[in-house]
Amino acid sequence: MFKWFGVVNLSPCTRVAAFAEHLRAGKLMASRCTACGQRAFPPRADCERCLSPEFEWLEISGRGRLLTWSRIDAAPAGFEDYAPYVVAVLELVDGGRALAWLGDSLTEDELRIDMELVLTPRLRDDLEEIRVDYLLERPRAQAPRTNGAPPALATTERRNP
Amino acid sequence: MELGLAGRTALVTGGGSGIGAAIVLELAAEGCDVAVVDRDGDAAIAMARRVEALGRRGLARAADVSDFALAQAVVAEIADEFGRLDILVCSAGITDDALSWKMDEGQWDRVLDVNLKGAFAYARAAGARMKDARGGRIVNIASINGLRGKFGQANYAASKGGLVALSKTLARELGKFGVTVNVVAPGMVRTAMANKLPAGVIEKALDETVTGTLAEPADCAAAVTFLCSARARHMTGQVLKVDGGQYL
Amino acid sequence: MERVGIVGIGHTAFGRRGDASVQELACEAFRGALADAGLERDAIDATVLGSVPEYHKQRSLAGVIQEYLGLAPKPVWLTEAACASGSAAIRTAWLSIRAGEHDVVAVIGCQKMTELATAEILGLMGRVGEVQWESSFGTTFPGYYAMFARRHMHDFGTTRAQLTQVAVKNHHYGAQNPLAMFRKPVTAEKAEGSESVASPLNVYDCCANADGAACVILARESVARTCTKPPVWLAGMGCATASASILHRGSLTGIPSAARAAADAYAMAGVKPERVRVADVHDCFSIAEVMAYEDLGFCARGEGGRYAEERQGWIGGRVPVNVDGGLKAKGHPVGATGVSMTCEIVKQLRGEAGERQVPNADVGLTHNVGGIGQYCFVQVLARND
Repeated sequence: MFKWFGVVNLSPCTRVAAFAEHLRAGKLMASRCTACGQRAFPPRADCERCLSPEFEWLEISGRGRLLTWSRIDAAPAGFEDYAPYVVAVLELVDGGRALAWLGDSLTEDELRIDMELVLTPRLRDDLEEIRVDYLLERPRAQAPRTNGAPPALATTERRNP
Repeated sequence: MELGLAGRTALVTGGGSGIGAAIVLELAAEGCDVAVVDRDGDAAIAMARRVEALGRRGLARAADVSDFALAQAVVAEIADEFGRLDILVCSAGITDDALSWKMDEGQWDRVLDVNLKGAFAYARAAGARMKDARGGRIVNIASINGLRGKFGQANYAASKGGLVALSKTLARELGKFGVTVNVVAPGMVRTAMANKLPAGVIEKALDETVTGTLAEPADCAAAVTFLCSARARHMTGQVLKVDGGQYL
Repeated sequence: MERVGIVGIGHTAFGRRGDASVQELACEAFRGALADAGLERDAIDATVLGSVPEYHKQRSLAGVIQEYLGLAPKPVWLTEAACASGSAAIRTAWLSIRAGEHDVVAVIGCQKMTELATAEILGLMGRVGEVQWESSFGTTFPGYYAMFARRHMHDFGTTRAQLTQVAVKNHHYGAQNPLAMFRKPVTAEKAEGSESVASPLNVYDCCANADGAACVILARESVARTCTKPPVWLAGMGCATASASILHRGSLTGIPSAARAAADAYAMAGVKPERVRVADVHDCFSIAEVMAYEDLGFCARGEGGRYAEERQGWIGGRVPVNVDGGLKAKGHPVGATGVSMTCEIVKQLRGEAGERQVPNADVGLTHNVGGIGQYCFVQVLARND
């Protein structure tokens, strides 16, 4: 359900739609080409190296360093209520980049180029609809994750055979 | 039926007696560690021991569920103690019957505080944790009288009807986080609470059923256990009546 | 191979043109170019329209304009390369003549933008970036360039004051251009104190959306020599692309497609950057002009800020840049901009630029960028035979 993804979703149809479902479960996934092993983040259905259409999901840490950012004061249609907001580009240690907003653990004033940040999945809890994205957070301020088995009793977990 | 409850952790309010106690035992039998919260601390401890006798961890806390601040603390304490909290069952409930024109403010407030505010207090604290953990089960014990109304139970019926609306709202808010919220609505159940009722009331309830039987606490516990299980992952916001057809 | 020359130019006033429809704007520019070339309408073999369709209510504008100009049944086609649509149109017209298919081709760049609200335009323009992973976070066109600016400042020490100098220069020259949208000089103090659009860029770092049209008429050499004015030759034509997504863009301090297009254009024309006497570059934002100085080889990588500060882009400097006011002061009707640049360089090479004439301008350059650099077209123009 890729329509869940983004502050405002503009492109609901994609073969990497499951990315949004992983985000909802708190996981950040890259794609890996099953033919040549090339990884991509953001994920790609078709390998950028060999154009193979077969890929698998691979969880990544989200850790990276800040390349650049801007505070958007003049917002485009659909984003007026959010302005001003900061968009920033993170270079991920696992490869690839992400463009994201800032989470609660840091403010624009604290941003420094090359600082280490973590791309952190978010399932919006201020909206009735399902909406997922990721935020840039300080490394120590990641959203809580459940550890240890069994996994949380969720509505999405696989049924026992 | 494999319920997938082994290794889960549960908190049951009103778990010291009646339907709550049956739920505690059933969950423990299915492999859950269970924390028992009850205003009767001795009853809670006794139930926690029975949980341990089944080979699971049992915790006991004495608390009046209508104490909102205490509820937040108790949930935090138990979740920290267990390391996680998968299941909340709000079973704590009281009655204080009177015809509406004779019911005083204290009767109204007390029943609403325990039955409705108490459930909100625990669901609020537990729901927030389950939301962050991206999964969990909440089951609230209401009553068919909350659905149909009941002569002499303005306070109780209102509290249980409110509990249904609360549960549906929680289901809507928590659903996307993998948390389900359901209601079990028993009819007349053979408990200590029912035993205090005049004989005529019990007989009338029996007449209303289509099975000609009254529920045992374990019948309610079975429904609760199912709703807490992995098998019920696609059910939320539902009211499951356990009443022998008493209110069809 | 026969050369292709520009034999006529026409240009409307840019700005809020509430007085005219888009086809009327196109007609105004076309009429001007025909007169400038001394050609009859019948001499036009084909028309290429440079325009970005999303801004117009009219679908498939090319046919409508062809009909309005009375050019049917001659062929017309549209080229689209975002803000570089005008230069893309010139390129395809040039190719069609080089292919031997046409002798005289009119290129019209036109755009009417002020019918849309600014927020709508910001949304449309932001979507020139990657929609799936970027626009869904409210990126804007100024936002992308702001991110380039932030990185340029960090890597090279480019300063806020240096960026402001671009606006000061372009407004200075815009005041001298009767067709410009903003005809007032601006002080550095006022420019720097203006409202933020996307940090670190503020209002005076950004060009304005505008309405307008420009037209150039291209002819093969044998025909060009028969026209009224001496032709200006399209001596070097470079064209390249770079990623539309900032997530796949290697360097965030330059526009790689611009550097590549420039290298190709210089090679074809057989000139080096220092031979360029005047240039019109794509200053959609102040940082874009600073990066252009570097991408075009007017200065070394990282020296763009100093180039602005030292006024090397002014008349009398190393290579005068945007002495028509640039996008900044002239306004940016996206489809018209590339054609407008070529018009200005033709004027300069002909010696018709009036008070903003660059002395001894015989080789000029245009640099037209689409999106955040996914398209770049560079032309080297020369008047020499």
